[in-house]
Amino acid sequence: MFNVAVIGAGMMGSLHAGHYDALPDSRVAAVLDVRPDAARALAEVYSATAYGDIEEMLADGSIDIVSITTPTPYHKECVLKAAAAGKHVFCEKPIATTLEDGLEMTEACRRAGVVFMVGHVLRYFPEYASAKRLIEDGAVGKVGMVRTSRGGSFPQSAGDWYADKVKSGGVTMDTLIHDFDWLRWSLGEVVRVYGKGLLERAAEHKDYALITLRFASGAVAHVEGTWMRPDGFKTSLEIAGSKGLIAFNNEDSAPIKLAFAGSDGAGVEAVPQSPLSAEDDPYRLELADFLTAIKSGGESPISGADAVEALKISLAALESITTGQPVEIRR
Amino acid sequence: MIRVGMMSFAHMHAGSYAACLGQLPQVELVGVADEDEARGRAAAGTNNTDYYDSYDNLLKQNLDGVVICSENSRHLEMTGMAAAAGVDILCEKPISTNAADAREMIDICRSAKVRLQTAFPCRFSPAVAQVREVVRGGRLGEVVAVKATNHGRMPGGWFVEPQFSGGGAIIDHTVHVADLLRWYTGAEAVEVYAESGTMFNDMNAEDAGLLTISYDNGMFATLDTSWSRPKSFPTWGDVYMEFVGTGGVASVDAFVQRLDLYSDENMTYGWSGWGSNIDIGLIRDWVDCLSSDREPSITGEDGLRALEVALAAYRSVGSGKPEPV
Ligand SMILES: NC(=O)c1ccc[n+]([C@@H]2O[C@H](COP(=O)([O-])OP(=O)(O)OC[C@H]3O[C@@H](n4cnc5c(N)ncnc54)[C@H](O)[C@@H]3O)[C@@H](O)[C@H]2O)c1
Repeated sequence: MFNVAVIGAGMMGSLHAGHYDALPDSRVAAVLDVRPDAARALAEVYSATAYGDIEEMLADGSIDIVSITTPTPYHKECVLKAAAAGKHVFCEKPIATTLEDGLEMTEACRRAGVVFMVGHVLRYFPEYASAKRLIEDGAVGKVGMVRTSRGGSFPQSAGDWYADKVKSGGVTMDTLIHDFDWLRWSLGEVVRVYGKGLLERAAEHKDYALITLRFASGAVAHVEGTWMRPDGFKTSLEIAGSKGLIAFNNEDSAPIKLAFAGSDGAGVEAVPQSPLSAEDDPYRLELADFLTAIKSGGESPISGADAVEALKISLAALESITTGQPVEIRR
Repeated sequence: MIRVGMMSFAHMHAGSYAACLGQLPQVELVGVADEDEARGRAAAGTNNTDYYDSYDNLLKQNLDGVVICSENSRHLEMTGMAAAAGVDILCEKPISTNAADAREMIDICRSAKVRLQTAFPCRFSPAVAQVREVVRGGRLGEVVAVKATNHGRMPGGWFVEPQFSGGGAIIDHTVHVADLLRWYTGAEAVEVYAESGTMFNDMNAEDAGLLTISYDNGMFATLDTSWSRPKSFPTWGDVYMEFVGTGGVASVDAFVQRLDLYSDENMTYGWSGWGSNIDIGLIRDWVDCLSSDREPSITGEDGLRALEVALAAYRSVGSGKPEPV
């Protein structure tokens, strides 16, 4: 049984805690947050210990795993300290806000000999995992033009940190890094990035970006990210190849659509839903894979190096948005 | 009666334009001229009109207007002939393969006092026109970005021979949306970045294009012009635009009014469209122009502005950098 400490009891922290609790090999032993109430509330659910001080928590030798779901700029400090204390580390994406930080975190975990996994969870979403499998099976021939889209309304958070462009990197860093990682995983390395976006308006609770990626394979991807959509969270994917085309969007494939009659007869629509059985939940699969890697002494399923490569694409996109020029990715 | 002739059926839209002209009681379709005699005779037969083996002979028939549907590279030559005969012109898009020819067409028509209209039928889609009112009405707030596609299938023939077409998917599928974005917002494109490639077919022209267009009002747009629809796709392609504003989003997918048709006959699934015919809107508007002394609703300059976006995209593909329009 692994004892897990969750750092950052916000939206993602609560989600992860639920999965660690449900998985047979792990339990939530500790919760840390700079907001004592948040730490206490989440800890209480799992009869765990609430902490406000990271050194104190890491001194607890019974903790095996530290799972980090703080806002992005605090990932680094938490990872470095956890690794130094010999804990295995799971860290939410983006790994960090700079490449230097990402590399330092990766290196620290390597030196400490702990498993370090970064939460590029799209790889565990069945629609994205299946699409990758179809590409690899040659279902569409040679991949040419790919289109992805992701987003909804402006994300809410404790302290409104998503509205701070330096902390969150806006939609291009925080949200599109999911698609960048999936694209790189599925199509190989990116060589050139060009983009337009509204990062400068994050403080007004607006961000939108349209990014073009050119891959070493010759394929091109159009990546849309939005925090300006008032009509719900949407994702879509289209992969056009020399022999066919794969298309997906989350609305058309949602099996559940609900609408209720209001008292005045006017209808009230609920968000379409697309449930999976508990064992197929992407976040559950992601954390289960992490635990398996620890148990087997194997490689991290999504390494710090992979996360740094995804971050490179986000940073190149942001640089292009700022300079107005395409950015070559060097390796 | 408004007397109209058709110059060349090289472009497949000629068939639809001729059929639309045939539906208008005030129009007499005087004849079809085409140097491809078999193609010209067939078109004349289908449309119950006469075949002319020379463009000059057709232009001598006291016409009010001609529709030019030749290869793009010959629009200038055809326009010169029609202007010399004093006949108003509806020219298929793109206006030309290059800016110099397009400017010359505009100048020739101006000096000859002949009216030149570019055929941008998408302006006559009721859905496209309705969303224009939404965008112009201000409910979206400031429109900051547009995501657009004009996908298609590889058309083959002269469309993929750059000496006739001017290029491939970029020149063929940039101009419709480039025109609509100007028409919607009044903004002018100032810079274009593009990636392209020949990804789906073995040929000399590009079949994939992805443009990022910057506008003089700060708005940006992307446009996917790719002929990326596989042969098994249920329809030919799309014209799709999504406008992102500070007050909301609005999208229009111009050709989705349809029945889904599953056929065991040849094991296919396809779309059977029932939306309004956009070509009849274009033709009606043009014939109305011919019967009055007003300017065309879509001018040669409009055609040139849209072409310039495609040409900047080709320059960007060459240089690897954003290029001024
Ligand atoms: N994988 C995904 O699908 C996904 C989705 C959303 C967010 N994320 C990522 O997860 C991370 C957290 O995002 P969120 O939406 O849950 O944020 P959130 O604001 O809801 O939660 C963050 C929590 O961390 C706490 N916190 C802040 N600074 C801290 C510090 N120095 N030490 C300890 N706790 C601290 C806050 O008080 C808050 O409770 C971000 O990196 C984000 O990019 C991933």
